[in-house]
Amino acid sequence: MFKHLTIIGIICFLMMGAFSVYAEKSTELYIPIGQSPGLSGKYTVMGKIDQINPQNQTIKMSGASGSYTVKMTKNTSIYLDRSKAQLSNIYGTLADCKGGDLVEVKFEDNSHSKPIEWIKVQKSQ
Amino acid sequence: MKLKLALICSLMLMVGCHMPSPPPTPDPDAELIEKGRQIFFNETFEGNGRTCGSCHPAENNFAIDPAFIASLPDDDPLFVAEFNPDLKENFENPRLMREFGLILENLDGFDDLANKFTLRGVPHTLGLPNSIDSAQGPRTGWSGDGSPGDGTLRSFAIGAVIQHFTKTLNRVAGVDFRLPTDDELDALEAFQFSLGRQEELTLPLSLKGTVAKRGQEIFNSLTLGKCFACHFNAGANGAPAIFGANAGNLNFNTGVEDLPDQPQDLTGELVPPDDGFGVPGDGTFNTPSLIEAADTGPFFHNNSIETIEGSVAFYNGDAFNNSPAGQLLQQATGSGINLDGTQVVEVAAFLRVINALENIRQSIELLEPVAQKWHQTVEQGKRLIDRAAAETEDSIAVLSGGGLNPEALKHLKEALRLTEKAQGSFFSKSRYAREAIQQQEKARDQLVETS
Repeated sequence: MFKHLTIIGIICFLMMGAFSVYAEKSTELYIPIGQSPGLSGKYTVMGKIDQINPQNQTIKMSGASGSYTVKMTKNTSIYLDRSKAQLSNIYGTLADCKGGDLVEVKFEDNSHSKPIEWIKVQKSQ
Repeated sequence: MKLKLALICSLMLMVGCHMPSPPPTPDPDAELIEKGRQIFFNETFEGNGRTCGSCHPAENNFAIDPAFIASLPDDDPLFVAEFNPDLKENFENPRLMREFGLILENLDGFDDLANKFTLRGVPHTLGLPNSIDSAQGPRTGWSGDGSPGDGTLRSFAIGAVIQHFTKTLNRVAGVDFRLPTDDELDALEAFQFSLGRQEELTLPLSLKGTVAKRGQEIFNSLTLGKCFACHFNAGANGAPAIFGANAGNLNFNTGVEDLPDQPQDLTGELVPPDDGFGVPGDGTFNTPSLIEAADTGPFFHNNSIETIEGSVAFYNGDAFNNSPAGQLLQQATGSGINLDGTQVVEVAAFLRVINALENIRQSIELLEPVAQKWHQTVEQGKRLIDRAAAETEDSIAVLSGGGLNPEALKHLKEALRLTEKAQGSFFSKSRYAREAIQQQEKARDQLVETS
């Protein structure tokens, strides 16, 4: 009986999204570039956009930690950070990303090999 | 006259002659915790006037409920949506806040404020060292994903300030609020981790009350209550024998959202379904600790059930037994949960008694520095006594609410009387605190065998 329960328990454990990341995503929109708690400076990468490839949904960027070509998916959130201009941050699209924009990206994994979960793009308006 | 004066002086000397024992080894984090306390209750982060303590007041177990809300003045920052024109729409639902203690959250995004939100109760912040760890990382808030950034308790305040402290719905950092600094986040985390129980219970306890004792058996039974599977030792973690040694806190879809006739739905106000963890949500919510449950209702993420008996009875109903968690339990054990009325009350009595025991433990812990004169300032002493009184009121309420253990209640009422005397006394605080502790210990002896 207990063995049965254990097996079901483990199945249940796996079914309940046990391996998801337990962080709240929605308020990330309003956190300015470089200030995401526990992520910025540790797991995110900051830099400037060098090139955008809309067909491949990729952005080439470079910064203090080197150059990266980051891949976006339909699940990637694009946040336009307008807090420096004292304007409300808004959701954006790839079309809002321009060469030279300061960006911060968070990869889906910490080894930076997977697509990005979100990108923040600094905008003056 | 001289004789009277001499008598008074001798009495005062006798009172003052109680030699305090040396204070215990100071907590190395005491300064950080105190800083965190100050921030938690006083810092508005240049926002709309709310503090963390607006929704997590110390005098109400660090949570709010309709009765507590009704005791606040109309200009309390909790009601900012009622008097700040910029927050009048889409920030809170004042009616549901006042009637059911529900707080609005935009957990699935801020792109459609009028329609995309959830309404949740306020969870207490007690015993967090035992309730938020899981094999995959910390789980905070009702759905386990309440904290932004890295998802830790340390980061929680950032999301809370953006969601609840803003002056306007523009939510511009540096304009509508300021974000907590790293130092403030460290202090807030230390303070929150210091609250309440620092250790797990080990069940079974040698309970003295017949009804609560039977409740504990049902709670830990694999064929009756089965409660222990998700609430091991009545805490917030999955049973290691079932979910693995390091499973810790887990999320489940127990069907609370499918309950019929939920109070907030009966009002006709817009109450969108709450999809729980993630965006879009998977319908799961995390497991709260039950030790602190009986005095922190209403229950479940949406405050849908008012009483502890009702919340135990929930697991008998179709909403739970047809839920993903209920179905798995049926497959695993061959049956759902089907307790009879007496058994529901017995499990609830067990939960009431363990809550009262935790109230007693906390009361003693709070009174001890006063009894031993370890507290640093008058204000600190007052704060400790106030909280001890609140804890004692809770233990009286949870036991009397279940018609349990009149002998223990007698001692708790006496402990409350002595604690109130300590509150009002200038010279005899320490003595009254010592006597109150003795009464708390007598009450505990009525509830559980102590070796």
